[in-house]
Amino acid sequence: MASMDAISRNLMLDSLKEYAKRRIPYDLIRELDEKNEFPAQILKEMYQHDVLGLHLLMVPVEYGGVSGGTFDIYRVCEQLARIDLGIATGVFATFLGTDPLNVGGTAEQKEKWLKRIAGENLLVAYGATEADAGSDLVNLRTRAEHVVKNGKIAGYRLTGNKQWISNGGVADLYTILALAPGGPCWFLVERDMEGFSPNKHEDKHGIRLSNTAGLSLDNVYVPAENLIGMEEGKGLLQAQAVFGYTRVMVAAFGLGAGEEAMEQAIRYSQQRIQGGGPLSDKQGYTHKLIVPNYVRMEGARAYIEYTSQRLDSGEHGLQTEGAIAKYGASEWGNKAADDAIQALGGYGYTKDFPVEKIKRDIKICCIYEGTSEVLEMTIYRGRWQEHLKSRGRYYLDMADRLDQVHAGEPKAGAHAAALGLRALAAVLEECRAQKLTRHQHVTFKLGKLICAAETAAIFSEAAAAKKYSETVRFDREGWQAMARVFAREAALNTALEGLALVLGAAEQAGSLADAVNIEAVQAEQKGMIADMDLVAAKLKQTFKAK
Amino acid sequence: MNIVVLVKQVPDSTEVKINPETGHLIRAGVPSIINPYDHFALQAALELKAKHDFKVTLVSMGPPQAKSVVQMGLALGADEGILLSDMAFAGSDTWSTAYALAKAIKKIGKVDLILAGMQAIDGDTAQTGPGVAQQLGMPQITFCEHVEVDGRRVIARKQIDGGYEVLEARPPVLLTMIMTKDYTPRYPSFLAVSGSLKKPFHVWSAADVGAEAHYLGLKGSPTQVSKIYPPPQREKAAMFSGSGQEGAEKILELMRREHFLE
Amino acid sequence: MIEVSNKCIGCTKCVPVCPFAAINMVDRKATMNEACTLCGACVQVCPVQAITITREEASARDFSGFKGVWVYVELTETGDKTHPKKIKPVTFELLGAARKLADELKEEVCAVLLTDKDHNYAKDLGAYGADKVYLVEHDELFEYNTDVFSTVIVGLVNRHKPSSMLYGATIQGRDLAPRVSSTLYVGLTADCTALAIKDGLLLQSRPAFGGNIMADILAPNSRPQMATVRPNVMKMNEPVVGRTAVVVRESAKLDKSLRRVKVLERKIAQDASGVKIETAGVIVSGGRGMKTKEKFRQLEELSKLLGGVVGASRAAVDLGFKDKTHQVGQSGTTVSPKLYLSFGISGAVQHIVGMKASDVIVAVNKDPNAPIFNVAKYGIVGDAHEIVPRLIEALKKK
Repeated sequence: MASMDAISRNLMLDSLKEYAKRRIPYDLIRELDEKNEFPAQILKEMYQHDVLGLHLLMVPVEYGGVSGGTFDIYRVCEQLARIDLGIATGVFATFLGTDPLNVGGTAEQKEKWLKRIAGENLLVAYGATEADAGSDLVNLRTRAEHVVKNGKIAGYRLTGNKQWISNGGVADLYTILALAPGGPCWFLVERDMEGFSPNKHEDKHGIRLSNTAGLSLDNVYVPAENLIGMEEGKGLLQAQAVFGYTRVMVAAFGLGAGEEAMEQAIRYSQQRIQGGGPLSDKQGYTHKLIVPNYVRMEGARAYIEYTSQRLDSGEHGLQTEGAIAKYGASEWGNKAADDAIQALGGYGYTKDFPVEKIKRDIKICCIYEGTSEVLEMTIYRGRWQEHLKSRGRYYLDMADRLDQVHAGEPKAGAHAAALGLRALAAVLEECRAQKLTRHQHVTFKLGKLICAAETAAIFSEAAAAKKYSETVRFDREGWQAMARVFAREAALNTALEGLALVLGAAEQAGSLADAVNIEAVQAEQKGMIADMDLVAAKLKQTFKAK
Repeated sequence: MNIVVLVKQVPDSTEVKINPETGHLIRAGVPSIINPYDHFALQAALELKAKHDFKVTLVSMGPPQAKSVVQMGLALGADEGILLSDMAFAGSDTWSTAYALAKAIKKIGKVDLILAGMQAIDGDTAQTGPGVAQQLGMPQITFCEHVEVDGRRVIARKQIDGGYEVLEARPPVLLTMIMTKDYTPRYPSFLAVSGSLKKPFHVWSAADVGAEAHYLGLKGSPTQVSKIYPPPQREKAAMFSGSGQEGAEKILELMRREHFLE
Repeated sequence: MIEVSNKCIGCTKCVPVCPFAAINMVDRKATMNEACTLCGACVQVCPVQAITITREEASARDFSGFKGVWVYVELTETGDKTHPKKIKPVTFELLGAARKLADELKEEVCAVLLTDKDHNYAKDLGAYGADKVYLVEHDELFEYNTDVFSTVIVGLVNRHKPSSMLYGATIQGRDLAPRVSSTLYVGLTADCTALAIKDGLLLQSRPAFGGNIMADILAPNSRPQMATVRPNVMKMNEPVVGRTAVVVRESAKLDKSLRRVKVLERKIAQDASGVKIETAGVIVSGGRGMKTKEKFRQLEELSKLLGGVVGASRAAVDLGFKDKTHQVGQSGTTVSPKLYLSFGISGAVQHIVGMKASDVIVAVNKDPNAPIFNVAKYGIVGDAHEIVPRLIEALKKK
């Protein structure tokens, strides 16, 4: 779906922000976090059509929704994450639970169920994960047996157990992945169906406002028309089809929570006086705990927007791009939240300040919707194919593109980004030549390097553009400095870590040291501290102490 | 009855900061919002609409992005929105702004009641409302806390020193609203925002409303900004901290020091 | 008009300093949109002087015939049957300011008084600086009304041509002045904090953006140049006893039909202390930090012991701790007592604007970073709930 116009989108975001200010104050969130309580009232209210009607974002207009595009959903997810990741997860689970319908449902099914979800404000849950099938859904155990009447399949009996289902204990409607004789498929199960029962609400490390529960299905009968798509065996394909898009949502979570934690730290640092001045003036503090984290978050933002725009323009799949966005934002977001506690010192360690909770909450972003490790593998696999198909030109062509960007705008770090991409191309080629991808460790590490190098490229391109997205809160000077800092770091890591990776796995590295162009990468580091000083100043200006 | 609500998009002035090194205003990253006083005026208009089924038209003057506040009003229930947008308006002070707004209202036709926020939080002048009323030749009531309509009578409760007055006027009349507990401004639901795109929205230029160039912009504005600068820096307070007893004693000491006590 | 020449190097330094977000970069060149007010902030930062603002020369209109610094006299109820009305203190403050301006311009200070019954007001007006009083006495002037009063003033202005005119930025002044300025098509500057003469023109200084910036305003082609000034901003001169003002009686034809807005009801809240915060010498003020209405009442006791009046922040009024007549701030009253003692007030800009003119500000707040400490002379970081009762005890002992 194409995205809305910026004005409409921002009006919706303003309404969400105002609602949270009024109805979800921090004291309430903290209390619910202590009690491990799901705020059913709040979720219900947020779904009310005349209050916010949040869930309508992912329902098409023809079924009573507002047809939000990926960009709109990213922005709303980012804002929800800033409020509370548990509440964000509760909303997200409805989106996720509705996806198999959106992607695989027949016209009649969409008409019936999407209208009900939109009109009755149903909370939905996505029931895929099992004890033995987390990242790996192939080990699916939940069975769907045919119920035959008069020679036709009248329905199915579902038996099995699901684990860690968001909204598991509170949803009205569940989309359950089960193994039918024809293969895995999705079934629509309503809460009050016989034999269906949610288990207890888990006691979690974080996102405690999100209800997480296992599900028990004991011969639950569902009529045949509740098989999504009316065809067995399409389940995994339907699940994967939306990964590009669902991963963007969790990426937005990492971005929102990570930046929220950082902004708390930036404001605090201007008020905390130690050693004769505010912490915000001390490089040892800012250049370790603040600048690198914020820069990475903005890189994540650029990549999320790039992926969202491609999905909104009609491209399908983009699972690898989604994985890059989610992996980057969640890993960098976690580091940001951790450093935010450090930045607030003793205060950060107490519950009076929000950063400790953000750190606990944000860990889930590295786990659900594809663990970081699975995503490293996904990223590697997607791009390895491209490297082979293009006979090693994939990243070289990308680097050429960045060189062109640099020629038009030398201040956006595009040259450093290009260096990183060329180094990556060389590393991948060396891995191919020496068959180093037989080591799983090499493949996962490559996934990590690819994420940073590609994010650097996208960030520099965005920073070089004539016009910036409405989401950028910095001026050109500031955002370009951030892109430069990011690109330098990515180029350095790609070259050095890539080289070390190959050296660790191979008999010899051949001419890789030259191919990654260490000298040029080193020369590119010049100006890093000045840029970090500039970024620190811009952050201080934008996020003034309240 | 036909109601016109004047709304303005303004920077969130609480967030506007001066760069201490350069002394200049930093606008980057400062969000734009609906002028809070106008938000109250809008709520008053919508409540009248809910009660009497009046028509509510929004009028705003601003650059293209100001469409946001008009659309917000449409999403909250207004019937029609007009954005007055034209380079010719650049540099207009309150007189020229009132002139342009009055021209737009004249073009709308029969208008019975105009509601406006008392002042905009960027300019803080409270002059545009009365200027519009004067140029349209209508009576005005400023500092209004509440408005009601009874038949053809507009009844306004107005704040005065130490209390209030209840006033009556026959339409057409212009009221400027202050922010009180009488109204609670709303924010539109997602569905309402989506639906607002279907409502009539027009962008009018200076020519569309017949605003003459020599009354607009810097040329037409009787006041000019000669300079802007940061407010004078104050010496920071002498700070003390202490428990209840220490704090109380400190205050006594300070009052003696400043000759408020013997 | 504003122009960006080819000297523009696209450095974008101008973009963030524009208070009105009026500058965009189009093809690497700074381009202004219609939000531009020609304030000149960008001109000041451009490193290559690529931006120019040209203002038209003052027109050929001859303003030499416009002379006199006028002050609108505002009357207020006293509640006393024999002297039902008196002159509001802000009028005397304006006379003080007008006196300085007029002396520099070598013009006269004229007070403009509209009333149904004169009570020798000219005596005080003269003592506080007026040379002349234009007095309009008419039954229809028994109470303020926009249409009636603005009609009279416009008539006087057209007849006697002042060079400038000052009004108090009171509820009445902020209703009347813009109506008059609009009719006359002259410049009006609201809430001036300073007035001066520059090249024979009235230079009007005022805060904008909630007090975050200051602006200097000129109205070169306006006569009269009009300004409103809040109470407690300008200092009143010492009255010169025996200094007289010449009274000039002006007639006005006023018909009842001019009065298009009718007063149905008027209610003044009963103020127990009897002293208005506007004129109080000592104010003990409380904010949200006082937490409850009961705790807030302690401030009443404290203020009585100090011979002062209780003030409240907007938050405290909204929470019901005190009624609106005690609200200090932008949407309440501007005060300038000799002592302002605040408890549990964080110091939002809108509050500070209303009390920063106080002589001595002592602020008590638990948060060492509360913005009120930026305007206070003395700051106590402590718990108001612990300090107030002990302060009351100590004062009682004396």
